[in-house]
Amino acid sequence: MNKALLWKCFRESRWLLLSCAAAVYAFCWVRVWMVGRIDTERFGAILELLPGDWKKFTVVEMDWLITYAGRIAMAFDEPVVVFGMSIWAIARGSDCVSGEINRGTMEMLLAQPLSRLQVLSHQALMTVAGVVVIAGAAWGGTWTGIHTTSTREEARPAWRLPFAMPGVGREIPRPWAAKEVRWTPMADRVSSNIYLPAAANLLSLGFFLAAITTLVSSCDRYRWRTIGIVVGAYVAQTIMKLVGMAAEEWRWLMYLSVFTPYEPEAGVNLAMKSPSLAWSVFLYGPDGQRAGLGPLGDDLLLICGGLLAYGAAAVIFHRRDLPAPL
Amino acid sequence: MLVEANGLTKRYPRVAALEDCTFQVAAGEVFGLLGPNGAGKTTLIRLLLGYLRPTGGWARIAGFDCCGDSLEVRRRVSYLPGEARLFRQMRGRELLEFFARVRPGSQEVERSFRFAARLDLDISRPVAAMSTGMRQKLALAAALAADTPLVILDEPTANLDPTVRAEVGELVKEARAEGRTIMFSSHVLSEVEEVCDRVVILRGGRLVHEQLMQPLRRRHRIRALLHGDLPDIPAALRDQLSIERRGDREVVIETPGELSPWLGWLATLPLRDVVVEPAGLRAVYERFHGPVVRHEAFAATEAP
Repeated sequence: MNKALLWKCFRESRWLLLSCAAAVYAFCWVRVWMVGRIDTERFGAILELLPGDWKKFTVVEMDWLITYAGRIAMAFDEPVVVFGMSIWAIARGSDCVSGEINRGTMEMLLAQPLSRLQVLSHQALMTVAGVVVIAGAAWGGTWTGIHTTSTREEARPAWRLPFAMPGVGREIPRPWAAKEVRWTPMADRVSSNIYLPAAANLLSLGFFLAAITTLVSSCDRYRWRTIGIVVGAYVAQTIMKLVGMAAEEWRWLMYLSVFTPYEPEAGVNLAMKSPSLAWSVFLYGPDGQRAGLGPLGDDLLLICGGLLAYGAAAVIFHRRDLPAPL
Repeated sequence: MLVEANGLTKRYPRVAALEDCTFQVAAGEVFGLLGPNGAGKTTLIRLLLGYLRPTGGWARIAGFDCCGDSLEVRRRVSYLPGEARLFRQMRGRELLEFFARVRPGSQEVERSFRFAARLDLDISRPVAAMSTGMRQKLALAAALAADTPLVILDEPTANLDPTVRAEVGELVKEARAEGRTIMFSSHVLSEVEEVCDRVVILRGGRLVHEQLMQPLRRRHRIRALLHGDLPDIPAALRDQLSIERRGDREVVIETPGELSPWLGWLATLPLRDVVVEPAGLRAVYERFHGPVVRHEAFAATEAP
């Protein structure tokens, strides 16, 4: 570990990291606050109006998706969060090799007694640390939102009994009374811990994107071209997933998209309904047959892909000629 | 020998950047690399630093292979690139501290501050706000401060004003006095002439000439306009002279040593506007890179 090199990597990226993490943190907090403003029951009517085909675009039940837990989970699929992570991963990954070569600073850096693997690994370490910070910011914003927000709910008043009646409890509803607005702490409705699988999924996506961008960067000498290639692939992969979800005959496209293992709502759904499956690698059907990857399986798929990409990037960077700065 | 290269070659699919380059540099020597743009100087330096993989031959620094043991090589080398691009988000002071600390166990930071002060550099300024010349000085301070046996300077005075150029020359001489070896690449012949003990001239990727500077400093050159035909050189002087014709009338006569033996013969020639000067490196350089028509020449190489 070369502290000077690590310090240089941190210095170069601190403002980008701060802005991405702050944006993601603030958005997730505000998102929870917005969820608390609108009563869940009102979404029922909207859901009935949606065509049946719409359900193809979600891996969880629509009914769950309109609950407080579901609506908060959707924040992890919002562009601000996904782009916040993607911008960091692509910006840092592209800077790793082609960025330094493009600026001409690789020349001075590798004139020092630093191996190419050291240069790459320190850059990667900073990038991955940033990915962890941004994923942590997403969960932290959600946690803050849950613990500082109250939900607005409309309910009929109830008689409160001095003792609990079996099967009824302490409250007996008054069905003929007019509905009244109640403010309930969001923390009473949703546990912040169920969003940890979503944050881990976001972290895995960021790791994979950073690694793939580093791989392209290690072959290239222009940072703008690296970013162009990765962003082009990013858009293509997004389209592939959407087309695969929309049409049965194109379903195979989904399996070629890196966004298919990014399903934060599914992880939250499992963490809420079956907490024991929240960190499972595989999911099994009622007959005991393997039904697919669990939340941890999706994460491991992305992380293993990322590790392979980092490994390939290290080999390519170690073997390549360094072009002279233009 | 501190630096050894044997048949060092770098070929790209369409061009040979360096072809069969063999040379040695002794410890404590100031070794010059000369040649126009594209001659292969920078390719040679980049091969020594392990930035490029040779397609043929090998090079070693302090016994370490420049390709296979590049890290060990760079522990023993400090390098100033032709146009130093520095980390623009740092201040000058931070940059010098970074280069000092990136070498494990290094105590060079105060030394680099002293070099910066000698080069009249304000290191409190952000690198991004520095001019090209200031950045070059900053990189020079970092390169010279590193405590390495070999210093490679690729056009170190590019973008510097004449006062600082002279200071750079002094710094190179001081480094040599400390026993360090310098590889010095430059287009400025007078600088190379002043600081180098030996130079090699590259042309089209090939090392075409090796020149010791000490004998060159004794050599003289006479430029004059010749009216009439060029007479035959007396047999006794033939081995000591070279005569070049430039255009219709100008002749350049060179001698490797004393002028006196052939001043008598010179007086018999139909010459006008005679200028006598030390031959210098330019005369050698122009033999390989100048627009010269040769009449007669010394032996091709005057290497030891």
